[in-house]
Amino acid sequence: MMAWVFGSLVFWLAAWALNARLSRLSATWVRFFVPTLFGVTVIVVWEGMVRGFGVNPVLLPAPSAIAATFVGEIPTLWGDLVQTFFKGALSGYVIGCTAGVLTAIAVDRSPFLQRGLLPVGNFVAALPIVGMAPILVMWFGFGWQSKAAVVVVMVFFPMLVNAVEGLQASESMQRDLMRTYAATPGQGLRKLRLPAAMPFIFNGLKICTTLALIGAIVAEFFGSPIKGMGFRISTEVGRLALDMVWAEIVVAAIVGSAFYGAVALAERVVTFWHPSQRG
Amino acid sequence: MKTIYGAVLAGAMAMGASVAQAADDVTLQLKWVTQAQFGGYYVALDKGFYEEEGLNVTIKPGGPDVAPAQVIAGGGADVVLDWMPSALASREKGLDLVNIAQPFKSSGMMLTCRKDSGIATPADFKGKTLGVWFGGNEYPFLSWMNKLGYSTDGGEDGVTVLKQGFNVDPILNGQADCVSTMTYNEYWQIIDAGLTPEELVVFKYEDQGVATLEDGIYVIGSNLEDPAFVDKMERFVRASMKGWKWAEENPDDAAMIVLDNDATGAQTEKHQTRMMREIAKLTAGSNGALDVADYERTVQSLLSGGSDPVITKAPEGAYTLAITDKALN
Amino acid sequence: MKSFLSILTVVAALIAFWYAACVPMNIHEAAIQAQRAGVDVTPAEAPERRKTGRISLALQNTGLWSTVFTQERPQLPAPHQVAQEFWKTTWGMIERGRAFSKRSLILHGWITLSATLLGFAFGTALGIVLAVSIVHSRAMDMSVMPWIIASQTVPILAIAPMIVVVLAALSVDDIVAKGVISMYLSFFPVVVGMVKGLRSPDAMQMDQMKTWNATRTETLWKLRLPSSAPYLFASLKVGVAASLIGAVVAELSLSSNGGLGARLLAGSYYGQTVQIWSALFAAAALAAVLVWAIGVAQKITLKRMGFAQ
Repeated sequence: MMAWVFGSLVFWLAAWALNARLSRLSATWVRFFVPTLFGVTVIVVWEGMVRGFGVNPVLLPAPSAIAATFVGEIPTLWGDLVQTFFKGALSGYVIGCTAGVLTAIAVDRSPFLQRGLLPVGNFVAALPIVGMAPILVMWFGFGWQSKAAVVVVMVFFPMLVNAVEGLQASESMQRDLMRTYAATPGQGLRKLRLPAAMPFIFNGLKICTTLALIGAIVAEFFGSPIKGMGFRISTEVGRLALDMVWAEIVVAAIVGSAFYGAVALAERVVTFWHPSQRG
Repeated sequence: MKTIYGAVLAGAMAMGASVAQAADDVTLQLKWVTQAQFGGYYVALDKGFYEEEGLNVTIKPGGPDVAPAQVIAGGGADVVLDWMPSALASREKGLDLVNIAQPFKSSGMMLTCRKDSGIATPADFKGKTLGVWFGGNEYPFLSWMNKLGYSTDGGEDGVTVLKQGFNVDPILNGQADCVSTMTYNEYWQIIDAGLTPEELVVFKYEDQGVATLEDGIYVIGSNLEDPAFVDKMERFVRASMKGWKWAEENPDDAAMIVLDNDATGAQTEKHQTRMMREIAKLTAGSNGALDVADYERTVQSLLSGGSDPVITKAPEGAYTLAITDKALN
Repeated sequence: MKSFLSILTVVAALIAFWYAACVPMNIHEAAIQAQRAGVDVTPAEAPERRKTGRISLALQNTGLWSTVFTQERPQLPAPHQVAQEFWKTTWGMIERGRAFSKRSLILHGWITLSATLLGFAFGTALGIVLAVSIVHSRAMDMSVMPWIIASQTVPILAIAPMIVVVLAALSVDDIVAKGVISMYLSFFPVVVGMVKGLRSPDAMQMDQMKTWNATRTETLWKLRLPSSAPYLFASLKVGVAASLIGAVVAELSLSSNGGLGARLLAGSYYGQTVQIWSALFAAAALAAVLVWAIGVAQKITLKRMGFAQ
């Protein structure tokens, strides 16, 4: 049994040495290989520890058991993903971010309102969302609507703050240029200030991707129909099926990172002109 | 820094205190938050019944994210309270839970429906929305639905199931036609919220023939091979049953004892007194020993789950009468 | 001071909107209670009423509007109800000499605060250690940084019960378990901010250290760490708020010991919406106070270090 423990430790040291060597190179494949090797090492050590020390599977399942459950339960996992991510998180994300940007544009013309809105917004953003979730389920029902509402509440203020900052990001020289062209405020907004705000808006969009998925999952803990990632996690904990719980967590991590990556890709396309995109 | 010093100091004092005790330590993990459902144990603690037996008992309240089976698997408790369906399901998963006593003779679970949703008998459940908690309490419900032949996937010929949150809002605001309630808790929350008994129709699991055994005392089977542990458990069961019988005879005082032990300060006297009286009805008729006929009925109910039974084969060694035999005679 | 009037206007507008929203939100409950008291309600049948939307029901029953602000179990408590409950459980308790009774928000606030500070300390320490090693070791930078970012996509609410059970099995104190969960949320902003901060000295300053034959450790202590102070404080502000949320989430799994999260749970469990709202506001107020405290520390420290503010 201890062979598993020692074997995994040896693997860890070897991988560390390999990574240390490889990190001196700067080839592109290295940038993907090193973190992947790190992740593989963590899984190997995890498996070794669980098998070597005989850890009870109702406390911490081995990665091999999680993988087996993952493969075996793909239909359930997919159904949960559709319910939580596509129906709840994504709709809330779109509504919340759009509302944030529109509010920023609306208060753009009034520094008075801006000065009042931001501190209040910071206070509201500090309300723990796990407390809002039962209230929103009470108001909007058990379906995906309440999950979307929780996501809207979570993403609205970070998006608002970033959008307001972005709209102020254009330089005064550029704004004066628009005046010399006799541009109306609306034209100035469309042609200069919104494009200049894009880096900040995308920063907000990226932050909100993780908030959206977590918000939807948390909301499902407080009442849902019998599908959804949050539902699955909370009930499978009660049934001691921890391998299913970890399988759902793996799905959440993959989808969350993919969502973030998709937004980052869109950022590259839209703000190709910004220094941070020049690598 | 102060918080860390404080924590270290508290930890050192706790260690010192535990060394100083000559009594045996027992940690009990409850199934839910501190409430009169566990009145017997709090009474035994408060009235010194545990102390008389030479036991130093720590009662750990549960909550929505606490699975007693997980806690005992992790070594966080010596003895836990659980419902039999959940304990048998955990047993099948490989956790060696063994029932050593059964204070609750009758089941308090029921399905409460609004009369104006058109439900009068279980035949009317088709196409309706029913709420149930999960976390181990869904097994009796799923068995019942299987027995009635309704699929839980929704649609016209089945029932739509909602995972209830921790309160009875779904029936109050019409999101569900029926919600799962306990005779001693959620039903009264509905009444408190303003619905009258005339507006409700209730289906008790006992009356429908699908009742399963509820709060029982469970330990890990391998520990029962240690005679010192067995002796500790006998004393624990004896003192706990003394507490339960005292609570049955003095429900109002027992409710006050429970309130004193509630760390969240959220329970109210009215609710707890009512709960204690209802619980007394469920513990009446049991002196703590498991009735094997009840056990067999529960097992049959769980095995007959149709395509998705809660357990797939009859459990072996899931209970022992040795402790109650010694403790209560 | 300039912004005081703006903030006041926005807050006043929000409170006005809140009062207005109470009417449609609470009208269904008001209608049920009014009917029980014998008052005429349109529409009179309960099932029909359930199907009516909130706004149309409110418009049909203007006589009931005054009753929506004083309900015992409202869907949306009125601002004065929340304020009353908040007052009753804080100052009211102090007046009666029971500031630390189990029903007092002060006690629960203290329990949450102690877990928050512990988790914040753990998280900051972990974050700084990770940031220093990431900046000094390319292997750490390339292998660990992507995983740190990925770790934040895992919902903490799912892992919290498991962490609690595992730590309980190792006989660790409950407050340390809460601290670990808070640490999970608060270390990330500290890592990100410190990495940026430790890399912020410009090339000229780094070269200067080289001309003085400084070792890597000396460079760390004398140049990198001081330069990262502004970034550190910015991250600490985010980190302390995250730590508070972590403590509240942890208390949902460990509600036996009280705390604001346990209070939220109890309120939601018993349908005491006013209790939920007052606990929420207490948590937000606590976060605001902590962030303000760090802001004050930031001002003092950065001024003494000579950063132009």
